[in-house]
Amino acid sequence: MNFHNLSIKRKLTLITMLTSSAALVLSALSFLIYDLVSFRHLLIQDLRTQAEIIGYNSAGAMEFKDVPAATATLTALTAKEDIVAAVLYSVDGKEFAHYSRTNDAFPKVLPPLSQDQGYRFDGGYLQVFHDVTLNGEHLGTLFLQSDMRQWSVRAKRYGGILCVFVLISGTFALFVSSKLQRLISRPILHLEDSMREVSVKKNYEVRATKSYGDEIGRLIDGFNTMLSEIQHRDGALRSANDELKTRTLELEKEILHRRQTQEELLTAKHTAEEASRAKSTFLANMSHELRTPLNAIIGYSEMLDEEARESGCSENVEDLRKIQSAGKHLLSLINDVLDLSKIEAGKMGLHLEDFEVLPLIDEIVTTVQPAAAKNGNEIKLHVSENVGFMRADITKVRQILFNLLSNACKFTDHGTITVDVDQNDRDGYMRFCVSDTGIGISEKQQQNLFFEFSQADASIARKYGGTGLGLAITHRFVQLMRGQISVESEPGKGSIFTVQLPTQVALDNTKLARAVAANEGETSPAGSKIYQDTILVIDDDASVRDLMSRSLTKSGFRVVVASNGEEGLRLAKQENPLVITLDVVMPEFDGWSVLKKLKNDPALTDIPVIIVTIVDNEPMGLDLGAASYLVKPVDRDRLAVLVERYRMAHSASVNRPHSAPSVSGAKKPKRLSELKSIGDLDHADDLVGRR
Amino acid sequence: MPTILLVEDNEMNRDMLSRRLQRKGYTVIAAHDGEQGHLLACSKSPDLILMDISLPMMNGWEVTRLLKSNESTKHIPIIALTAHAMVTDREKAFEAGCDDYDTKPIEFSRLSEKIENFLLAKKLS
Repeated sequence: MNFHNLSIKRKLTLITMLTSSAALVLSALSFLIYDLVSFRHLLIQDLRTQAEIIGYNSAGAMEFKDVPAATATLTALTAKEDIVAAVLYSVDGKEFAHYSRTNDAFPKVLPPLSQDQGYRFDGGYLQVFHDVTLNGEHLGTLFLQSDMRQWSVRAKRYGGILCVFVLISGTFALFVSSKLQRLISRPILHLEDSMREVSVKKNYEVRATKSYGDEIGRLIDGFNTMLSEIQHRDGALRSANDELKTRTLELEKEILHRRQTQEELLTAKHTAEEASRAKSTFLANMSHELRTPLNAIIGYSEMLDEEARESGCSENVEDLRKIQSAGKHLLSLINDVLDLSKIEAGKMGLHLEDFEVLPLIDEIVTTVQPAAAKNGNEIKLHVSENVGFMRADITKVRQILFNLLSNACKFTDHGTITVDVDQNDRDGYMRFCVSDTGIGISEKQQQNLFFEFSQADASIARKYGGTGLGLAITHRFVQLMRGQISVESEPGKGSIFTVQLPTQVALDNTKLARAVAANEGETSPAGSKIYQDTILVIDDDASVRDLMSRSLTKSGFRVVVASNGEEGLRLAKQENPLVITLDVVMPEFDGWSVLKKLKNDPALTDIPVIIVTIVDNEPMGLDLGAASYLVKPVDRDRLAVLVERYRMAHSASVNRPHSAPSVSGAKKPKRLSELKSIGDLDHADDLVGRR
Repeated sequence: MPTILLVEDNEMNRDMLSRRLQRKGYTVIAAHDGEQGHLLACSKSPDLILMDISLPMMNGWEVTRLLKSNESTKHIPIIALTAHAMVTDREKAFEAGCDDYDTKPIEFSRLSEKIENFLLAKKLS
């Protein structure tokens, strides 16, 4: 086992053990060595003393060459167990006498001795040499050899004692160190336990217990401080996390709530739009249904009126007139409601035609003359010399001017009504101005003037009658023709209504809208551009092509001609015409095949096709998808009417919502959909119902 | 006396209009649905036809188309009377072959002026 990976406990025990054992063994060894060295000295000393005594005793025998006496002296050494041999050498170095304990071999000749010390160690034996002298005369040399038995016995004994001692003291040291290592290891192990609990259980509330004020104690202090820091941060983090979660939850709720609200709003919007459409349709249908009985009422009363006058029964005439007038009033109300509902439903189209302005003005003035005379008003007419023709929906222009004029007559008593008409050739606008000297309209009333069902004052409805729809419809008509209407008025002094209409009203709203947008904010709007729609004429007969293109060009269209089916299809793709007129009898590729191909091409299928042919098979043409069917020779007027119709349908689908032109003196008109509320419509029903 | 065929399903309107026309001095034949109108137009060959559009059996557009595609009746002027004062009705009237069109409720003076014009034109030709 690797020492480094041992537990602290073991390490501490082991270190203590090793250290103490090493010290013990070292000290014991040095003691042993010292003892053995000094004992050997003692032995040498002892042996030399022995040699001195033996030498002294055997000096006489040597003098007298008495070998037996000398041998006897030597034999006395038997008592000394460790002396194994003793030899007396004569001066010449020869053996004189000897003693041997075990008949061991001994040197026959005096070995060379070390003069200085007089002893030597040789092969595990201690050898001592001693000069034998008598009265200063050198007689020979005594040689003693000891096997150092005492020493080796002592050494062995000492070694044994030492081992036992080391063992005992080692065991004791183990016991003591294993007790004492806890002083260090216990706090460390405790620290480790605490740390494990923190790291495994993520429990930052655990604290290590400090036992002593030493380094480990300080380590535990540091650990605890770190833990409280972590615990604090953990708590802060957790609370921040909780707060974040709460916030996220709140946000999610908010988002959900908003989404719901959005969906509800969308549904509400759809419902409202649907309701508005349903309302418009209902109004249109109702108005239509109301007309039929009205037809009878007015008709019969007129008839009775005529009869009564012819037969001279004049007493009923007045009452019959009242029925007639009430019926006509009701009719005008229904017409107004119908007009509005048509505008709302997006069904109000424009029939553009060229007409002279002056006769129209004369006609309208003549029509309102009775109304003017009723209140004692005078109508003055100023038409500039440059006023000539204009292209617009004459019915709507008539109604616009009629509404303004009859309003002026209605609200003016014994005053003057002036009609000014002039044409601005520069910007291409016709300006109609109707001014009166009537009751006038206050600033506040002007704001709602052009909105539905908002007469300037409730009392006005009682005094003067009317639905409050007239100006709203006028306003809508002006918008439809891309014109502008404005009012200037001062209560008590009179009002001036000004209508500006393009002299060339166009149906292509997108182009016009662009022109209007480009000129927005300028005092004089730009003139309308005449937009030319393309018509593709497919016919193999050159004279027919020529005739048709001339007639259509006259009606203001751009005409592209094709002399066969293939060319026709190619031009249809290239020109994307408004309408295609198609001959049936053609060589190779007849009109039916061309029609099929046109209707099968998604890019071309929406282009209306008018079949112009001598073949009288309308059902087949309509089955194949033709929009209309004309039999040659072509009636030019019918063709013009048809094409005009498609032009209108096209422009209506291209740009349904009109951007409202600015109206000075009045609040910017709101969108149709915003204006209409259910209350308004109910009110309309009431009005119609009450009359 | 010129004969006018009035095709109208509403009894009151039919009665009122035919009486007023008679008072003007016209001979009036009345039909109450499209089929009867077509039959009478063919059998009596009137000088002018006043054609209501929303008729039972066969509507005014169909009757007009039939009459206009028939050689013996195509010369008879037809004035459509429609209660739908819609743009498309006007176009439809011309498309079906009507010679003129007027909206209900009838303004009698305007209608009788139209009738007179057609009869005058016919007389001249």
